[in-house]
Amino acid sequence: MSEEQGNPEENKPIDLSKNQNPEPAPFQPIDQGPVTPPPFQQPPPFQQQPPFGQFGAGGFGQQNLPNATASLVLGILAIPACCFYGVFGLIFGVIAWILGAGDMKKYQLNPSLYTESSYKNAKAGKICGMIATILSLLFIVVVVLIVAGAIANPQLFDEFIKGVK
Amino acid sequence: MAQPQHSFIDWLGNHLFSCPFKAHFGIDCPGCGLQRSVLALFSGDIISSFKFYPATIPLLFVVLFTIVHLKVDFKFGAQLIKIVFAGVAVIILINYIYKIYTHQLI
Repeated sequence: MSEEQGNPEENKPIDLSKNQNPEPAPFQPIDQGPVTPPPFQQPPPFQQQPPFGQFGAGGFGQQNLPNATASLVLGILAIPACCFYGVFGLIFGVIAWILGAGDMKKYQLNPSLYTESSYKNAKAGKICGMIATILSLLFIVVVVLIVAGAIANPQLFDEFIKGVK
Repeated sequence: MAQPQHSFIDWLGNHLFSCPFKAHFGIDCPGCGLQRSVLALFSGDIISSFKFYPATIPLLFVVLFTIVHLKVDFKFGAQLIKIVFAGVAVIILINYIYKIYTHQLI
């Protein structure tokens, strides 16, 4: 439930931030032409964000990364979900991994725009997703090996199962 | 108050999801025991909860802590979640290997 509640609130800021990213371009010519890029990128968010501050969480008009919460929640739910042949665990884990990695890239492109805590959450979500993916993959490999063994040599498989029990 | 809770847990105990892996192959999967363990924990029996599935308590801790962390936003929250989650994964692996070696995969 928490990811469903978290998303709509945090999805609004994405659209705004995407709309704002193109805007700094017209400002560049005003700031005395050939200076290094960083001075351009950092000031505009601080000037433009305050009107939209009602959506953001940070003090300086910084927003949370859009998928950080979803990534973290999915990454953690991936382990309890691994029961069904590891398929759901794999799906959840991969989604958490992709969302977390995407948000980390977004933050690194424009660190001043997003809150650091949401960056940490995205990173944690990515790592949890990786761990869950690896566990689920291991389990799926075991299942495939067992099925392959059962098809290739049923008698040996029966003995193996009895041996394990 | 105690009796309705108790009967609810009993009712839950009779309505657990069955593991498709175990139904097909007759062997426990790495997640088997989690539901029994959670039920044992709810009825207050920590030791048998640990015996059913050792990773339950840290797993529940991670889930609850994540909910609180997303509301309150601790500074160390993300780091702690990562560490405990990795610990849960290690516990699950060790538990499954231990089960294989001690022939508990009924």
